[in-house]
Amino acid sequence: MKPTIHGLVRGIPRSLGSYGPIIRELEQVINDPQSNLLNVGEVVEKDPDLTVRLLRLGNSSFYGFPTRLETVSEAISLIGLMQVQDLLSASSVMEVFAGVPEEFVSMESFWRHSLACGIGARLLAIARRLPKPDKFFVAGLVHDLGRLVLYSQAPESAKEVFECYYSEHQLLRQAETKVLSFDHAQIGEALLREWQYPLQLIEAVAFHHAPMSAPSQATGAAIVHLADHLVNALQLGSSGERFVPPLNLKAWDHLGFTSDMLESVMAAIDDQIETVQQVFLSSRPVGPHP
Amino acid sequence: MPKLKVERLQEGMVVAVDVRNMDQMLLLPAGCTLAQKQIGILQAWGVTDVEVEATDDFVDRDDPLTELPPEEVVRLTAETKALFWQLDETFLVEMEIFKLVLRRAARRRLAESAQQ
Repeated sequence: MKPTIHGLVRGIPRSLGSYGPIIRELEQVINDPQSNLLNVGEVVEKDPDLTVRLLRLGNSSFYGFPTRLETVSEAISLIGLMQVQDLLSASSVMEVFAGVPEEFVSMESFWRHSLACGIGARLLAIARRLPKPDKFFVAGLVHDLGRLVLYSQAPESAKEVFECYYSEHQLLRQAETKVLSFDHAQIGEALLREWQYPLQLIEAVAFHHAPMSAPSQATGAAIVHLADHLVNALQLGSSGERFVPPLNLKAWDHLGFTSDMLESVMAAIDDQIETVQQVFLSSRPVGPHP
Repeated sequence: MPKLKVERLQEGMVVAVDVRNMDQMLLLPAGCTLAQKQIGILQAWGVTDVEVEATDDFVDRDDPLTELPPEEVVRLTAETKALFWQLDETFLVEMEIFKLVLRRAARRRLAESAQQ
């Protein structure tokens, strides 16, 4: 029997995993008018693993600060509170999908593709002068989550999709639609709705292959679409697709970039991916939060 | 004026056009001579390109494809083209991305042969 989108998504409850306690404690501190950056720093410092990751990312070319960050408070004051929450949210999503069988794609390759897309989307958002560029990092990171849902919840159907994919010259997304009557972008959309993610992020994921069809957030979807195109072209990991899916001309025109910015964005993705991958993919110790 | 990527900026270069952040705050005025501190400021604000005063030294004319044997260029070009789904050669942006990926592959090939 063919799976339904709802059936696939139902199997994946929203869980903050081992990041749950710290995410909730941070929310409390941030919402407390009496608290300051030092208090927030103290919460993060309770988790040594998170402290190391935050400082490592803060001192990498991802942020490119001119001075070396020595303390969590310094890192939070420069990176920003909301950005730190975004990074925690990203880490918790990756934890939810830890242990997905690697029959269809290696997890390292999947997350490398996703992280690189996040880096690209963030850089493009900065270049487009959009507010809160770290939100685009999260959007890039989760853009292909629908595929992981399929691979983990319906491996038999995923196998059929790949058999169909390799039997003809086509994109993986086309094979998904032939076999399932829906694609990974629709599964990702349903999952993020279930998890009550913000609309901007849901649309960026749902329409990353058809950005100009997004009802209200075409810019976000177009940014993830372009980042996905660049990262596929750079062959930084894969979510299962072997080709570079086509670039949407209208989405490119909508973003209003000139092509001379592409070289620097692609070089920056290449420059940042190794450190970001080390920060996010190094295994997290069990029971880090006291 | 040549527009250079921030990672290619060098101390002593002169900024040709005002550099502003996303809130239009002036980061570096035109005419400012770059030192390491100024380059750090640009990186911290996520500035990707800066227009600098032209001098011959600053223009990058490297094309790694010219350093590879022709048959290797043909092979790399075919491999890269096969990656792209129905590459539309009339779509200039996609062709620009294709060329950048091809040059990157050539640079990697040159680095590999230099190591051997």
